[in-house]
Amino acid sequence: MRPITNPVARLAIHLFLWAVVLYSTVPFIWTTLNSFKTIKDANAATPQFIFDPSLDGYSAVLLKSAPDNGVLVASGIFAVLVALVAIGFLAKRIPLPTKYIYWGIAGVLVLMIWGIPRFVRTAEFYDNFINTVIIATGAVIISVAIGSVAGYALARYTGISGIAILLAAIAFRSLPRLGYILPYFQVSQDLGIWDTYYVVIIVLVAVNQPFTIWMMRAFFMTVPREIEDAAMVDGASRFGAFRRVVIPVVWPGIVATSLFMLLVVYHEFILIRILTQSNQTLTVAMSQFIGGVSVPGSIPRQSAAAVVSVLPLILVVLIFQRQFVKGIGTGAVKG
Amino acid sequence: MNRKAFFQFTAPSNIVMVVLLVFPLVYAVWLGMNFITFRTINEPVFVGLDNFRTVLSDPSFWASLRWTLVIVLVTVPAHMIIGFVIALFLDQVKGKMRAFYLAAALIPMIVVPLIGTIIFKQLFDPPGLVAWAYKTVTGNLFVFDPNSMKLLIMVHTIWIITPWAIVLFFAGMQTISEDLVDASSIDGASRLQQIRHVVVPHLRPLILLTLLIAVMDMFRLFDNVFVLTRLNPVFRADTVMTYNYRTATTLKRLGLGNSIAIILVVAIVVALIPLMYVTYRDQIRER
Repeated sequence: MRPITNPVARLAIHLFLWAVVLYSTVPFIWTTLNSFKTIKDANAATPQFIFDPSLDGYSAVLLKSAPDNGVLVASGIFAVLVALVAIGFLAKRIPLPTKYIYWGIAGVLVLMIWGIPRFVRTAEFYDNFINTVIIATGAVIISVAIGSVAGYALARYTGISGIAILLAAIAFRSLPRLGYILPYFQVSQDLGIWDTYYVVIIVLVAVNQPFTIWMMRAFFMTVPREIEDAAMVDGASRFGAFRRVVIPVVWPGIVATSLFMLLVVYHEFILIRILTQSNQTLTVAMSQFIGGVSVPGSIPRQSAAAVVSVLPLILVVLIFQRQFVKGIGTGAVKG
Repeated sequence: MNRKAFFQFTAPSNIVMVVLLVFPLVYAVWLGMNFITFRTINEPVFVGLDNFRTVLSDPSFWASLRWTLVIVLVTVPAHMIIGFVIALFLDQVKGKMRAFYLAAALIPMIVVPLIGTIIFKQLFDPPGLVAWAYKTVTGNLFVFDPNSMKLLIMVHTIWIITPWAIVLFFAGMQTISEDLVDASSIDGASRLQQIRHVVVPHLRPLILLTLLIAVMDMFRLFDNVFVLTRLNPVFRADTVMTYNYRTATTLKRLGLGNSIAIILVVAIVVALIPLMYVTYRDQIRER
């Protein structure tokens, strides 16, 4: 559609979109404010917008005991994180290959995650965070690896078995998780792999595989056959052509699919809760902060835990926003 | 690509899906025909179809199904209309501001549903922003009762699923050819007519897809109802999933829980037939 030019109408459009921004972010902003309050401020009868910020909530959630140099460590970590996020958003402007920049950011993050427990005594919630990183990384890499090979084959093969697999995938994508809880629980206990990373990762890969193959297939459909045919004429095998020629072209699609996998893995609650006891992810660990129906529990702690759990995911998705939105578009328009 | 290469390429994915999705489903059907509690988890007693009879004659099951259908009927059209309107407005903005608005609109869908619900509930808990506003405006305390709880569940569900519709419709609008829009405005079509006769027909496949997927996903609604009601029966707000979960955990009837899951699987597969048919037709046409 052509843009509206009438200035009054344009103002109205922006006002409307600002209302959408508020509608989407107010709950999160309110919780972030709460996370910096003391219990007294958080429970005040009238909402407090200006208050003395306190890090009590965060330190209760993340640390076993408050360290002597707490403020220094916290501001150090905060400064590094802000710098990394800034670099992430500006990656396109920096005259270095973006690939190296993202790898550098990932490296610094891993170093930080590994290093923090060496400076301060961290609580269990921090271990849950590390579990989340391990499980999410494993599940995303495995499912995109096997999903992209399958998605490629599904995009190129025209036989009836391809259609059958795609239809079965739709059915399995829609099935309720609760039916799987008992089988997974029993079998993983019998096999002695209950409460390990392996079982959580492979189960997450499996339950999301139908979605992954559909999405990867949609991206491979956009790649013209001619480029791999040319490579195969030059003597490459089918798999060689796929790996050397097709994968580089479809790379944005792989990033988008990985983002989606990260999202669904991070969101998973009930399966991980059933399959783990000590290796729980942040989402499952959050359930201890749910509180009662009308008794909210300690608001600053609940809020700090929520912010800590969700912020990494929000930042990653927003840094890759362009690929993310394009991913939904391609995945759905073509699928 | 020949048949052999196809099966080689899809092998890892197929093996994972067969071993972890197909086999467990068959096993789940069998477990649904057994009497199992937490204590006898390894010594199931075969009871045939008794569990299924128990479920189908349980009024709570039908109540939860009715309530789930109400959620579907309200939230699915609502989120599509809201999403469509927001996407239309987003389409009017270009550049940096568009990226900003879109990023903000995505947040409800990025936030983990379980945590998002905790965050959302904070607004309504006694010292929360909305609870305070409600008290200031009406003079009454905001209380969680069956009605307010049901309303809250629907509002929150719309809040989480709308971003999908926004992004899908927005992405679809980017592929409308400008020529078509120009031609219609030369013919004297107003903006509303353009939306009605150019945009909506162009988005029709997407609208259908969003509709079907949203309906499927609403039947799996669990996390936010779980957090909001804490499975408290007072609210009479059980969806089919929380009803299933309650049967398995509170009543400790695991086999019965599984039979509910199987009934739902059958119901969902039946409801899926239109989507499967549309997909099948598209795939046959495409090749």
